[in-house]
Formats: sequence, C-alpha cells, structure tokens
Amino acid sequence: MTTPLLSTTGLSVAYGGIPAVAPLNFAVMQGDCLAILGSNGAGKSSLLRGLIGLTPATGDLTFEGVNITALATADRARRGIAFVPEGRRIFAGMTVRENLEVAAHAATGERQRRRDAAYDLFPQLAARDRHSAWQLSGGQQQMLAIARAMMARPKLLLMDEPSLGLAPAIAKDVVAALAAIAADTTIILAEQNASLALDVASNAIILDRGQQVFEGSADDVKNRPELLAPAQARAEARGS
Amino acid sequence: MFAAQLALNALALGAAYALVAIGFVLVLNATTAVNFGHGDTVVAGGFLAVALATLMPGELAVPGLVLLPAILALMALFGALMSWLVYLPIRDRPPVTTFITTIAFGIIIANGVNALFGGAPRSAPTLIGGGGFSAGELFLSRQSVAIVGVSAVLIAGLALLLNRTQLGRQLRACAQDPEMAQAVGIHLTRMTVITFALAAALAGAAGLLLANQFFVTPSDGGVLMLKAYIAVTIGGWGSLRGAVAGALLIAAFEVAVASQISQPVAEGLLYVTLFIVLFFRPQGLFGEPVGQRA
Repeated sequence: MTTPLLSTTGLSVAYGGIPAVAPLNFAVMQGDCLAILGSNGAGKSSLLRGLIGLTPATGDLTFEGVNITALATADRARRGIAFVPEGRRIFAGMTVRENLEVAAHAATGERQRRRDAAYDLFPQLAARDRHSAWQLSGGQQQMLAIARAMMARPKLLLMDEPSLGLAPAIAKDVVAALAAIAADTTIILAEQNASLALDVASNAIILDRGQQVFEGSADDVKNRPELLAPAQARAEARGS
Repeated sequence: MFAAQLALNALALGAAYALVAIGFVLVLNATTAVNFGHGDTVVAGGFLAVALATLMPGELAVPGLVLLPAILALMALFGALMSWLVYLPIRDRPPVTTFITTIAFGIIIANGVNALFGGAPRSAPTLIGGGGFSAGELFLSRQSVAIVGVSAVLIAGLALLLNRTQLGRQLRACAQDPEMAQAVGIHLTRMTVITFALAAALAGAAGLLLANQFFVTPSDGGVLMLKAYIAVTIGGWGSLRGAVAGALLIAAFEVAVASQISQPVAEGLLYVTLFIVLFFRPQGLFGEPVGQRA
C-alpha cells in the first residue's frame, strides 16, 4: 500500500482554546488535488493554517511518513509544504524578483532557473520583475503569491481562496495556472467557489462549522450538488 | 571657511548618529519593539574601544580603524547575547515587557561600565591619527573625515547586505511579514538574533567613532538613545533611509545652534523640534514608504 504524502489523525485546530476545526482524519496521496469546500467560517483557512503550523493544532500530522506535528512552520516549509494564504500576503516592499528569490532556498543558479520557470507560468510577472510588489494589481499579486510558493519546489501546495476578490477573467487565468501546477504537484485547495475548485480537484472534503461532513471524489460533489446545499443555505441565511 | 568646517563637524556627528539610528530601526522593524538599551550598547562599544586600546602591549597607539573589525565582531556577539537575554524569552508578551527588559539591560550595561572604568569621560583612539588637512584657510580634521568615511562604508555595506544578498532579503521579509516569512521557510528566531547582532555591531562602531572626538561616559546611553529616537521620528518610523536623513538633520541642527548659542540650548531646542514634528507630522518628514521595512 502506498504511503500518503500527508495524513492527519484527529487533527484539530483552535484559537486560544476556541475550536475552529474538530478532529479530522484524512489523507492526501501524491499527485492528488484535494478541495476543501465549505462556506465562510467553515474552518477551511484554519485547517490550512494548522497544516502549515501558523495556528496551533493538536492530533497527529504526518508528511512523507514522518510525524511533523511538533515541527515549526519554517521547518515544515523546508520539508516541502508551501502555503499561499488568503489575501496573498506578498512582501509588499520588495520587488517581484525579491519576493520570488526569498522563497527559494537554493544556490544562485538554481534560484534563477526557478524564477524563469515562475515567469513561464505567469508571463505578466516577468514584465514587472523589478517593480515593487505593492504596485501590482490584485490578480498579479495572486500570481506572485502562487509563484513565490512554487519557488520552493514544494511537494505539497496549500492554497487558501486563490480566487477571492479577483475578477472572473483573472480568476480563470489563476485556475488555469493551478491546473498546470496540479499536473506535477500535490495540492490542497481551500475554496468557497466550489465549481472553480472542482474543475481542478480530484477529491474533496466539505467542512461545515468546523466539522467534516463529506469526504469523497470531486466527481461525487459535482454530481450531487445537494452535498453543498446545507452549508450554502446557512451562508445565505447569514448573509440575509 | 568656518561654515565649511562646521558642516564637516555636523556631517561627522550625523554619520555616527546615523549608525546608532540604523541599529535602532533594524531592531524596531524586526521586533516591533523599542530597544531602550540601544544607547547603552553604543556606550559599551565606546568603552570596548577604550579597553582594547589600553590592552595593547606597551600602550601602543593603535589606530581605531585597526580596532574596528574586533569591535564589530565582539559587539555582534554582544547583540546576539542581548537578543537571547532580553527579547526572545519574552517575545510573545505585550511590548511593554520588552521596554522593561531593554531598559533594565541598558542600566546593567551602564552600571557595569561604571564599575569597570569609573564615571569620568574617556576617549577612544582616533581612527587614523590626529591632525588634519589644510586647504587654504580651511582645516579639515582627519578624525572627522575618517568618521564620515567609515560610516559611509558601513552604511553602504549594510545596504548591500539588505538589498543584494539572500540573507538581506530574508531579514527584510521577516521585518515586513514575520508570519509569511516563516511560511516560506525562514527561521524567524535566527533572523532576530542576526538583526540584534547587526544592530549592536553598528552601535559598537558608533561608540568607537563618537568616543574620540566627543568622549564617552557610562551615562551617555540615555541621550544617545533619545537622539536615535528623534532621528527615527523625524525621518519616518521604520524607515532606514529616514533614519539616516533624520540623524544628519539633528546633527546639523545641534552643531549649528551650539556654534551660535550653546550646546545645552541646542539639545533643548532639539526636543522642542521633536514635539513639533510629533504634533504636525507624526509620520516623520519622509513618512514610512510602503513596505520599505528592513
């Protein structure tokens, strides 16, 4: 039996004792793209922050067969987990090139090769190589956040709401890039926009108020939209 | 001619102040806490220069420039130790805790120096010897020129480190967004220790530069710390370029007023200026450029 790239056993996330994600058990195999779906406040971002170590989590987290629960965020990143947070969080005062290079822990030549690969993926960034990151548009900043994560040559990419706040056309470009990345990188994609996520994902988990309510294939969710209905209804009720 | 000499004095004083202010900003940006012991670190550097000079066999007149590498290295170690003692153990507590620990550490430095050297003003060796250069009626002090030169080299070196090296990019990333810096694999604790080391090394160099022309006493730390604070407030909170500009401005102001009236009046008016800046332009004269932290 193949060892999962990442697996959780009773992993829960809490903020100062207030639970955000109830104990979860799931596994991600090499090459998978797992969509974490759910409405706002379902616990998607908290789960990703728990996986990268930015928010304290309890339970067991195993990556490449090694328990990494006690590892610091930087050590998890160095082991091959990259994170694209909600809101991009690029280093605004640094140039596009610096944002990319700072995330590549490699010799100068290799850094340059990775930067060239990032510019192949997002040609818009190449034209703004020496621009300060704060001067980029929202879509370009999202591209930069993804490209920065890819500079580490990650084995697992955690992406939090990559389409949030983007115009539909730009979101489409970002999803196209994601599909290209998913061809050779394992991805966990947290996304409110389920149809967008399911276009890329192979598997899906649905969270509702911190609880896992579904785990299965992306096709199952596509074919049974009622799976997302309770969470959507609650989100709509909150919005009304 | 007199004005040119005053300008050189102001430039020399401002260059040394700039080193103090840059170290202050580096720690401020890396920790978001004010290091109230920073002025005393400058004093420690000054007395380290005095001690190293007197330790030389037969009281050899070793130029300060020869001592500079040792002072930079030893003070960097001192800064690293400082981070382990006064910041890292309490970094998750409210900022006021850091204020208290750095103030306490500064007092320990001042009293330690007082116990070892006494309270009288001491002088470190000149950087490249006394005397100066004459050009017509203009006399340029060799020490003043050397202070400007050494400061310029150190500031340029720091700029190169921050802007052209991977370590520099990592330091800047930590200053701008510590959480994301960790998420891209940067060890925050390591970067914090390096920042304290860099800041203390620059403070030590400033101590050496100031301790000849302007002497050094164990109680100077408070005033130096305030000068750095004023320079950073005038230049723009968190901005390295602003800190240099602020330091040069306050030195020019101090030298100009002291030459026309007196040093106490110059210092008093400096604090009045601080109030005015805080009242009318709290972001500093140059503001904080978006994300330019380092």
